[in-house]
Amino acid sequence: MTELPLSTITLSTGFGLMLIGMWGMLVRKNIIRMIVGFSLIDTGIHMIMVSLGYIRGGTAPIIDGSVDRATALTRVVDPIPSALVLTAIVIGLGITAVMLAYAVQIHTHKETLSIEDCSDSKW
Amino acid sequence: MVEALSNPLNLVVVALGVGFLLPLIDRSSPALARSLFNLALVYQAALPILWLFWLANGAPTQEIQTAGISPPFSINLRFGMEEAFFVAGVNLAALLGGWYLTDLLRGRAAAMSVFLILTMGVDGMIMTRDLFNLFIFIEITAIATFGLLSLERNAAALTAGFKYIIATSLASSFLLLGVMLLYYLTGTLNIDDMQAQLVLVHGPLGLVAMTLLVAGMIVELKPYPANGWGLDVYENAPPGVAAMVSVGVSAGALFALYKILPLVLPFLSALAAVAGVTFLASNFIGLKQKKVRRLLGYSSIGQMSLAAAALVLLTQLDRGAAIPLVVGGLFLNHLFAKAGLFWLAGALKQSDTQDWRGLRANPRLLALFGVLLAALVGLPPFPGFWAKWELVMQLSAGGLNLWVAVILLGSLLEAVYLFRWFGQAMQASKHEPTLSGRAHQLPVMVAVLGLFAAGHFAAASFGVDALRVLAPLYIGIALMLLHSVPARVQGLVSLVIVGTYSYQVLPAQDGINALFGAMLLGGGLLMLVAGLYRGDQRLGHYPLMTMLLLSFGGLLQAGTSLEFFVAWEFLTISSYLLLCRGRDAAPHTLSYLIFSLASAFLVLAGFGLAYAETGSIALAALERVEGNAALVLSLLGLGFLVKAGAFGLHVWLPGAYAEADDDFSAMLAAVFGKAAVFGLFIAIMSLGVKGGGTDIVMYVLGWIGLLTAFFGALMAVFQEDLKKTLAYSSMGQVGYMVTALATGTHLGWVAAGYLSVNHLLFKGLLFLVAAGIVLRVGQREMYRMGGLISNMPVSFFGMMIGIIALSGVPPLTGFGGKWLMLNALLEKGWYWQAGFAFFASALAFLYLFRMIHTVFLGQRKLAHKDLREAPLALIVPQLVLVAVILAFSVQPTWLVNPVAAIMADYLPQTLEVHGSLIKSGLGYWDGFMVINVVGAVFMVSLLILLLLSRFMRVQRVKQFNIVFAAERPERPETTHYAYDFYSFYERALGFLVLPRATAFWNGVSEWSHSLGSGLRVFYTGNGQTYALYILLYVALLYFAVGDSV
Repeated sequence: MTELPLSTITLSTGFGLMLIGMWGMLVRKNIIRMIVGFSLIDTGIHMIMVSLGYIRGGTAPIIDGSVDRATALTRVVDPIPSALVLTAIVIGLGITAVMLAYAVQIHTHKETLSIEDCSDSKW
Repeated sequence: MVEALSNPLNLVVVALGVGFLLPLIDRSSPALARSLFNLALVYQAALPILWLFWLANGAPTQEIQTAGISPPFSINLRFGMEEAFFVAGVNLAALLGGWYLTDLLRGRAAAMSVFLILTMGVDGMIMTRDLFNLFIFIEITAIATFGLLSLERNAAALTAGFKYIIATSLASSFLLLGVMLLYYLTGTLNIDDMQAQLVLVHGPLGLVAMTLLVAGMIVELKPYPANGWGLDVYENAPPGVAAMVSVGVSAGALFALYKILPLVLPFLSALAAVAGVTFLASNFIGLKQKKVRRLLGYSSIGQMSLAAAALVLLTQLDRGAAIPLVVGGLFLNHLFAKAGLFWLAGALKQSDTQDWRGLRANPRLLALFGVLLAALVGLPPFPGFWAKWELVMQLSAGGLNLWVAVILLGSLLEAVYLFRWFGQAMQASKHEPTLSGRAHQLPVMVAVLGLFAAGHFAAASFGVDALRVLAPLYIGIALMLLHSVPARVQGLVSLVIVGTYSYQVLPAQDGINALFGAMLLGGGLLMLVAGLYRGDQRLGHYPLMTMLLLSFGGLLQAGTSLEFFVAWEFLTISSYLLLCRGRDAAPHTLSYLIFSLASAFLVLAGFGLAYAETGSIALAALERVEGNAALVLSLLGLGFLVKAGAFGLHVWLPGAYAEADDDFSAMLAAVFGKAAVFGLFIAIMSLGVKGGGTDIVMYVLGWIGLLTAFFGALMAVFQEDLKKTLAYSSMGQVGYMVTALATGTHLGWVAAGYLSVNHLLFKGLLFLVAAGIVLRVGQREMYRMGGLISNMPVSFFGMMIGIIALSGVPPLTGFGGKWLMLNALLEKGWYWQAGFAFFASALAFLYLFRMIHTVFLGQRKLAHKDLREAPLALIVPQLVLVAVILAFSVQPTWLVNPVAAIMADYLPQTLEVHGSLIKSGLGYWDGFMVINVVGAVFMVSLLILLLLSRFMRVQRVKQFNIVFAAERPERPETTHYAYDFYSFYERALGFLVLPRATAFWNGVSEWSHSLGSGLRVFYTGNGQTYALYILLYVALLYFAVGDSV
């Protein structure tokens, strides 16, 4: 039996996390739980991003003695998704922070954290 | 130094730098922080404007590279004409918005830096050519927006903000995933590079990648129904912030969509459908909305989806050359108008549209408000007008007629709710809306100036001689500066301007233009003179009158359908505003405007179809339309019929004609109505005699004219109100012109021309007489008058001449009209129509008799004992009209000859004229002889009557003495003999004039409103529901497009 590649595991975990997060955002009424749901979506996407660049058995993208230029393309792990994911994490953190700040403010003004009580304006 | 300062990348660098410095500086010197903030905003706005200038003068598109490596290995940004244009617009809005937000930002350095970073984020969205970088800028913009939204700390604003965050972060999650999948497939993040590698994007994964990318972008544009979160924010955010979201953030999203379109070609149709549905739905729902800011939200979403639809459709049609003008125009229009309205809504504290009543007490604000609304609705000269014109032409040429219909319908709906709001602001109220500081009004003024400038520029970019075409408006505005000068002096200035203009323009006209030029400008000048009878300051009266008359000239001078359409819309604007001046006109102004705009849109659609076939917008090219001739003729005909008040489309007419200022009623009914006839002439002369399908259209037109004539006359019979009688009478008379035109024969057209001139003369005369009566009596119900002959003998004489000329009996001009028309109908073989026309024209006798009998004859009311004759300014034009009527009556050939000669340019001459004898194929008519014979008969009977009256005993009765003993009348007027004068006819024929048309149009209105409330049930206000919609949207997109890929 061949081993399950690492990238497949992270990929499926990432999609799983995304789905759980979406479930949380759509079903849980508590704002904090919705934010946790968003956080899970975010994390899931980050895992997907990283796994997209992975090459099975690949090595670090440093061109030195062990990796020559000619074969680098097939042997090294694509560094760009890893770089991008850092940015994405920072942004996700920022948004989560803003969401939490809003949650605090909403609680101060409305004394509730239920999304169902947040229908102040409609139509 | 200059080079370093002018690097477009500074837009990002400076904003970030200043943004992070501000909170630090603020600790030591708040004033310095504030100045730095302002300086940064000015720099951000000035830089792209300078670049626009440089790029226009040949500077190359700036490709900005980062990290010292060339793309695709590094992020690159582009700063070309398109980018500079959008960035300039957004940053200008930010500058004005920052100015507007002065109070809110005071002492909040963090908010200032967030505001700067928001602007920078949008700039980045526009400039970047890297997909991941695009995501970053979208997120920066989003986070900055979240921050600004929290400036308003109340429950509604906070929950709205939270819903906004949920929705946009979900959308950007999709975007991120889509971008990453695309990277996985193509190995690049650079948009241009990816476009080159597009073959790699295929299969299920490719579809998922594209779906996610499109979904992420589309949600940013707030598609219906997944846009409740956006609306909540528009409603609850501080207006200055809402303006920035509506204008800046949406613009960034639109431009980003523009950039990614080449990557997602399979999605174009779906994108267009989403934008179209959103556009229509928002405007339908807007009908139901009463809260100002949410209303603006619906309008914002509608406008942005229109721009998106235009972008996608033009891309699909491969007409990229039109994109800058259309999308750029719509963007700029939305930018200034919507931001201006949000700011105005913030400056006026009232949250409900009906609380804007009383704004008319502040004419300057009202004017600003009106300009912003006019721009949004797409009236000239604002950029939205030119953009919509070009869009309709391009879509028509591309065969997308359904889209043209959608766009025009949506625009009409938008006009309904926006101008209903304006109507409310025009109403008088004891409570004036409260105003906040001046700082809130100045940015609005700048926005309005920007609209005018952009409009002028857009006009010029069409190759139109902007100064000439827009002159009516500019001269009108210039005349507004004289508003404090005495009214009559203003009137004289207007007379001089219009007189000089007419003197220069009229001699250059020939053919049908000369005929209608003489009518429109000559008649208009006469009505302008009549207006001098009022010495009170009517704010805007003379400027608008001047604009109206000069726009008549615009119609005459128009060489292209575009110029014609501009003049037509100017007529709509000026007449609408003049109508708003009427004391009790408020309930009728909206229907007037809506029907006028509907008329204009039908005409526009017709021009579009013609352009599609001939590829030319020259009016002369209309004749070359063959395949679509029947359809184009129907659209143009219907458009002009709406304006002429044809049967079924007339519901706006009686109210407007009756409730306008009395002198303006004369202008509307006698002169302005001829503009519609002029339009019909042009349409029918170019298209009506081509045979085939157009014959059917002409046949139908003929009957429409007759029904209009019949019902107009019948409804006139049952009116109590003098001006309403005249209004319905006008409607009926125009019907004859339509029928005569529809014959498509030389004789018919001569009849139509003759009838037009005659109607102008007698209806102008009658309305001016009515103006004099209303001025003196102060009332319009005829039964309240009587015996005025002794007080107002000249008016009596005028009315008598007018009604004889109208009735069509010899010897006055009316007879000639009827004779020509019946000849034409018989010659055409339309015997039924001829009989019907004869019957309908007999009806006119009833109301004509009543007018002169009830108003001038019989007993005088005691209160009217001391009434004087109408003022000289009214009498003189009346006498001029009487003189012309008499002249044409004595020598009909003076009128018939030139008209027949003009029509002979188009169809073979059928009239022979020998001396005073006019011969048609069916008979002859010697007007000179007729008047002599009739004159003699009249004189003889007059003498007999005078003699007899010496020997007859005259018994006088009192007017109210027809009540029997013990009868108690409910209302006093029911006992008056002249009240309900034709009740016996009403019993017999009244069922014909039940207000069915009005009921029908009320039904249309009600159904539209119901549809609006049906469409908005999706907006539950629940953030989770909104998130669900977004997910469903993604799924729907995937399945809709997945099928077709």
